[in-house]
Amino acid sequence: MLSRTASDLYWMSRYLERAENLARMLDVSYSLSLMPHDGRGDGLDELAMPLLITGTFDDYLELHGQLNAERMLHFFAFDANNPASIYSCLGAARTNAHAVRGRITADMWENINATWLEMRGIAQQGLGGYGISRFCEWVKERSHLFRGATFGTIMRSDSYRFIRLGTFIERADNTLRLLDARYELLGEEDDIDDRSARAYYQWSALLRALSSFEAFAEIYRGSPHARKVAELLLLRPDVPRSLRACLEELNLILSSLPGDNGRPAQRLAAEMDARLRYSSIEEVLNGEEGLHGWITEFIQLVGQLGSAIHISYLEAA
Amino acid sequence: MRLSISHDTTYHYDDQVRTSIQYLRLTPHDSERQHVLNWQLNLPRPVRAQLDPFGNILHVLTMDEPHDDLIISASGEVDIDEHCEAEHDDQSAYPYLRFTRLTQPDEALREFAHQQCNSHRDRDALIRLMNALSERIVYTPGSTKVDSSAAEAFAGKSGVCQDHTHAFLACARSLGIPARYVSGYIYTEDAGHLASHAWAEAWLSDAWYSFDVTNGLSRPERHLKLAVGLDYLDACPVRGMRRGGGVEQMHAKVLVSPTLSQSQSQGQSQGQTQQ
Amino acid sequence: MSRNFFDEMHDANGDCRAHYREFARWLAETPEEQLAQRRREADLLFHRAGITFTLYGDEQGTERLIPFDIIPRSIPASEWRIVEKGCIQRVQALNMFLADLYHEQRIIKAGIIPAEQVLANEGYQLAMRGLNLHRDIYAHIAGVDLVRDGDGSYYVLEDNLRTPSGVSYMLEDRKMMMRLFPELFSAQRIAPIGHYPNMLLDTLKCASPMDNPSVVVLTPGRFNSAYFEHAFLAREMGVELVEGADLFVRDEKVFMRTTAGARPVDVIYRRLDDAFLDPLAFNPDSMLGVPGLLSAYRSGNVVLANAIGTGVADDKSVYPFVTDMIRFYLSEEPILKNVPTWQCRKPAELSHVLANLPELVVKETQGSGGYGMLVGPAASSAEIEDFRQRIIARPEAYIAQPTLSLSTCPTFVEKGIAPRHIDLRPFVLTGRETQLVPGGLTRVALREGSLVVNSSQGGGTKDTWVVED
Repeated sequence: MLSRTASDLYWMSRYLERAENLARMLDVSYSLSLMPHDGRGDGLDELAMPLLITGTFDDYLELHGQLNAERMLHFFAFDANNPASIYSCLGAARTNAHAVRGRITADMWENINATWLEMRGIAQQGLGGYGISRFCEWVKERSHLFRGATFGTIMRSDSYRFIRLGTFIERADNTLRLLDARYELLGEEDDIDDRSARAYYQWSALLRALSSFEAFAEIYRGSPHARKVAELLLLRPDVPRSLRACLEELNLILSSLPGDNGRPAQRLAAEMDARLRYSSIEEVLNGEEGLHGWITEFIQLVGQLGSAIHISYLEAA
Repeated sequence: MRLSISHDTTYHYDDQVRTSIQYLRLTPHDSERQHVLNWQLNLPRPVRAQLDPFGNILHVLTMDEPHDDLIISASGEVDIDEHCEAEHDDQSAYPYLRFTRLTQPDEALREFAHQQCNSHRDRDALIRLMNALSERIVYTPGSTKVDSSAAEAFAGKSGVCQDHTHAFLACARSLGIPARYVSGYIYTEDAGHLASHAWAEAWLSDAWYSFDVTNGLSRPERHLKLAVGLDYLDACPVRGMRRGGGVEQMHAKVLVSPTLSQSQSQGQSQGQTQQ
Repeated sequence: MSRNFFDEMHDANGDCRAHYREFARWLAETPEEQLAQRRREADLLFHRAGITFTLYGDEQGTERLIPFDIIPRSIPASEWRIVEKGCIQRVQALNMFLADLYHEQRIIKAGIIPAEQVLANEGYQLAMRGLNLHRDIYAHIAGVDLVRDGDGSYYVLEDNLRTPSGVSYMLEDRKMMMRLFPELFSAQRIAPIGHYPNMLLDTLKCASPMDNPSVVVLTPGRFNSAYFEHAFLAREMGVELVEGADLFVRDEKVFMRTTAGARPVDVIYRRLDDAFLDPLAFNPDSMLGVPGLLSAYRSGNVVLANAIGTGVADDKSVYPFVTDMIRFYLSEEPILKNVPTWQCRKPAELSHVLANLPELVVKETQGSGGYGMLVGPAASSAEIEDFRQRIIARPEAYIAQPTLSLSTCPTFVEKGIAPRHIDLRPFVLTGRETQLVPGGLTRVALREGSLVVNSSQGGGTKDTWVVED
């Protein structure tokens, strides 16, 4: 397959997955911002969190100067000038899909095209008109639909593999960042086994955002706290949004790609997969740098894997 | 006159270049007025020589391993026949009548050419044109850019040898005289001038005649020709593209010096003309 | 100004011509309402399939449909055989002309074409001088634009030897007609055209000396007006559709970047103009081409179809010499006629042109696509004056021809069925031999009285039938 085609397929699904993750991020922050708060009680810190996680907070400040709930929400979700907004991600996904129109099925194309057209309609109504939670639900739903259309209609060829690669790279990165941010917020001074009401709501919201609340309840049968949440989201192979699950998929897909130019990416994925497979949560938490240090390292590793995929397949010289 | 040339071009890149490709016109060929005694082109990897559309010797250097710098060096010795003023050619000169973006004359240039030459289409008329252009476009390094057109340099009244040459080509062609760009080396005692040089040739009934606007010379006695073309883009010694690399720093070092033309010639004249 | 038009369907007495009778009977039986409904269906299908084009200079990049007319243009087979022979003859002569021009230049030495006329022409590429091409083919794919005068005789309006487009509409129009009106195809024998993509692939493979060369279609990208066609042809032939950035040159060989590493490329069906092919050899600002491509081409390691430098043969200032080329290279009389042409660069012809502007069609020698063209009888006096000034400023850039009447064909328009002017572009392929599929693309000027059929100027298309008679 042409590297450019693979790149368009890969980025199509990365952008779509990113839009979905942004919606999940927004959903959790928005619901937490409505809770009673310690300080000002306006929930602005919570609303700023998605901007901090995505590294767009400074861009926001430059544009708007001060924290304002409505503006932050708009900037994050609808702003066409913010390349990291949900709106821009859906637009980019559709542009990539258009470029490979002949490589994806009609169901997939019509789905992603319709998503984009609806997105533009919703943006015209504005967030206030549509409702934030409803919007987040809508984004997730459209992403589910596209994944379903993909799974149900496309041939299991390299096209399918590059689409899946994009999904899991993006998802691995996102799970790490979300966990890291929540952990940071609860603070190093808080005991890692913090069982306060605040911690309970924070961890629950995170699990809900990652559609893992039910999984947690089933596996651990207790109220969520840092150690168990971290174990669930990092090391459980049976939780579809966990880091381990993502790496298992990535490793499998990469090892099934033809050609021998992908060895650096294949090796890195296999190494990361093995590390996760043979790590315990104690080793993660009690390491020299603690959980934050461990996550930081893995964010870098996922980034490296992304570049290795790029160099090996997507822009191969 | 025997000229000894040493031309090193070094590119440094801030970031790694992933792949690059260069069209190199750095190898002179024999003609009525120059005889190549020996010539070496040192490149990072071996490259086969081919002829380009204008008959120049071309090396296409492709690099697909990442690199931080690129060093290209050319050196050799060439005999110049100072008394030979024109070069014959069995190919038609008509293709050299057409304009390019860099040599497209505007009204001012057409007017200027007409004033200098009137209805004359001979060598004397073109010498007048050459001298007038040299006066009009003052040699000023740094006043124009590599993609400045003849019309821009003419309007700005300053430029370098490339602009002089483009202006001459624009005028000559507007008069219906085929004319072409020449890139090469020139030997001057004055170290202030760059030894890498450009001048023009015009087709006058039977042969190509040289017009070096910058130096006001209509006899190419100190000129070593590397390549010809419709304009700078066709004839320039190095034209390349790369992926990655960031900001580039280019250093060129050119030494042109006369050597004695008796004793050494035998020993060095064999082999290694091109890689 | 009144003129006699040749109508494809009806003779001078208004009687239906024999090869249209079957269709006329069907038309009479079909309620207009049903026709209108089928036409809407066609629009919908074309839209859904994305069979669209983009207008140059349209900032929005809006995709438009080329209007499709459901009334076919029909040609009796006996007549077609003459047109076919004429096209083959013409393209053969043009290929021989190009081979000669880039080698011995016998035609110049024989005094048939002035040297300056072709050698100073911008379409003449020094890069091709002395270069030997496999089978001596330059224009592997040619589009010959034909029109019919008042008495019905065919004239060649221009030869398109660079990157002629429109063949996808020819094929899609046929598919649409067969889908909408299958009954018409069982009632009479209409020559099939669906094998064109196969024929094209064969032609491209033949252009290379290799046994089983790897072929790609090179497109300027999806913002190009004909992108749909590039994607269509690549898909139909089962070859990769590449952009310049997908290809690279290493040691004078061309490769494409794939997920499994570099893959060699042997034949490039390029839909990109000469000036954009290689930024190191031509336009340095072009991001559409492949750096180093010219060196690979000149080393004989890759085939370009069409070859570089074919533009000199379809230039409008060279057009008047094509009939002489046929006599010179083939020792045959031209089967198809040329339109008489005045060259404004010649003072005597210039004054004739300037004196008769309201009756003439004036074209830019380098122009295409109906841009930069004056149709005297249809122009306002202001437009004529504007053109007069342009011609006086650069006479060498213009030619003029008498306004041909252009045949008409019944066309389904807002008011019902009415005659509209049409032309015909058969696509001529040259590989082992020169051949074409029966028919071609019929373009129709949808505005009443208009003689401009280009899609950029509001033209539509029709299915073209060659009917056994």
